[in-house]
Amino acid sequence: MPETNDTSASVVIHFDAPIATIVLNDPDRRNAMSHALFDDLEGCLDRVGAATDSGSCHVLRIRGEGPAFCAGFDLGAMADGALPSFLERLGAICRRLRHLDAVVVAEVHGPALAGGCALVSACDIVHAGPDAAFGYPVHRLGISPAVSLATLVPGTSPGAARALTLSGEFLDAEAAVDVGLAAAAHPDRDALENAVTILCDRLGAMDAATLHATKRFQNELDGTVDPGVFTKSLAASLATADSEEFQLRIDAVMTKKRAAEGRG
Amino acid sequence: MAAMNIIALDTELVTLTTNGAVATLTLNRPDARNALSLEMIAAMEEALGKIESGLDAIRVMVLAGAGKGFCAGMDLKAVQDDPILMGDMLRRLAAISRRIRRLEVPTIARVQGAAIGGGCGLMVVCDFSFTHPEAKLGYPEVDLGICPAVVAPFLVKRIGAGRARAMLLAGGTMAGEAGFDAGLATHLVPMDELESATTAFAERLTKGGPEAIAATKQWLNELDGSLDDAQLSKGAEISAELIQTEDAQARLRTLFKR
Repeated sequence: MPETNDTSASVVIHFDAPIATIVLNDPDRRNAMSHALFDDLEGCLDRVGAATDSGSCHVLRIRGEGPAFCAGFDLGAMADGALPSFLERLGAICRRLRHLDAVVVAEVHGPALAGGCALVSACDIVHAGPDAAFGYPVHRLGISPAVSLATLVPGTSPGAARALTLSGEFLDAEAAVDVGLAAAAHPDRDALENAVTILCDRLGAMDAATLHATKRFQNELDGTVDPGVFTKSLAASLATADSEEFQLRIDAVMTKKRAAEGRG
Repeated sequence: MAAMNIIALDTELVTLTTNGAVATLTLNRPDARNALSLEMIAAMEEALGKIESGLDAIRVMVLAGAGKGFCAGMDLKAVQDDPILMGDMLRRLAAISRRIRRLEVPTIARVQGAAIGGGCGLMVVCDFSFTHPEAKLGYPEVDLGICPAVVAPFLVKRIGAGRARAMLLAGGTMAGEAGFDAGLATHLVPMDELESATTAFAERLTKGGPEAIAATKQWLNELDGSLDDAQLSKGAEISAELIQTEDAQARLRTLFKR
């Protein structure tokens, strides 16, 4: 029987063995990573981990509700000093996704930016829709996207990861396929959803032990088996996370944002 | 153009010919789409030994398949009652892949038909792979409950770790054109031009300085980890271990009954 959690949570999980589906469910805020979203996402991953360990799950599908897949960190929370802890939580989630035995499939229908792009880069198979956008528009805030590099470099190529994280430019679905970040681009949202459903059903019918062994060896081949890679990536982002520069920039952005919202 | 010479082998499962400085190793079990049986593996080992010992006159190796298919992958059905032997075959295939990778001369896979699983692995281990839009390529191992760890290292080197992750975990096969787009093949030509295009390219490669090419290939192998014996052996051990499990054997039995 399909099983689901509180559907009003900011992350909803749904089990239909052996497939778990995690839905980022804060559409009004473009699924931005807030304290609540991190709490819920970590809780959902705990459940997926337990289900994987008990043999009742070997496929995890991740998608977003609303216009965006995930817009990255919540700006308001960052202005209030949450950046270091957000980076740590994001880094830990990327590592968990990579070290989870279940095959992780991302269904990216809209923008996946900054932390959202990091999340995508940690998934095993990424399908993208027509409105997908991938990128790290974070330097203007004084934030380093290095936390993403542990999975982005092996997932794309050293050159592509360098350009993507340093330029702040966005990739569309086709460009994401070209650099290897996505496995497939789809012309519309229905095609995306159908393709991911078919893929997850196929993966679900496969032998769990075979997939686990294959994923683990992939992790070994591309270096992501090493927890040290994640630690170093995170440390590089944390190095500038409590800088005065960041605080000045985020305060300026928030002042502008509040003014635009008529609450300035 | 020099005449074609046939190099004598103890078997007919593989043929080895030279034409000038181009050696062509042809998998010759067309009725079984050149599936890699134990005997085929032994035949490849013998032919590779001839090439390795006759390198002075050889500048390029072409790997080809006779008949409709290039190579259908491991012939597990023939050894279906012997999981230990399956593991040994995987180890020997890994050793063959390593030897092809480390030949001093450039290697070209001429893929005229299906290159599946271990067959696709042989294609990808070559320095160049020529195919046509209608060929069939891919790694359906996970669909069968087999772990493609033997082919994974060279696939990662060919198409990158991210693409390899998605391709190997999703399984399935694709047409030659999609395979080319995904980076599996280095050259895509119309089907009726495959042989002539491969031959022309091989001839061109024979003109390069052999020492320079050997040194370049050796350095590329070092840069991309192709000399990492421990990693390549580990791939074989992972595949061998998994194929011996009762689950994998049960899946294979079901498959063979179809």
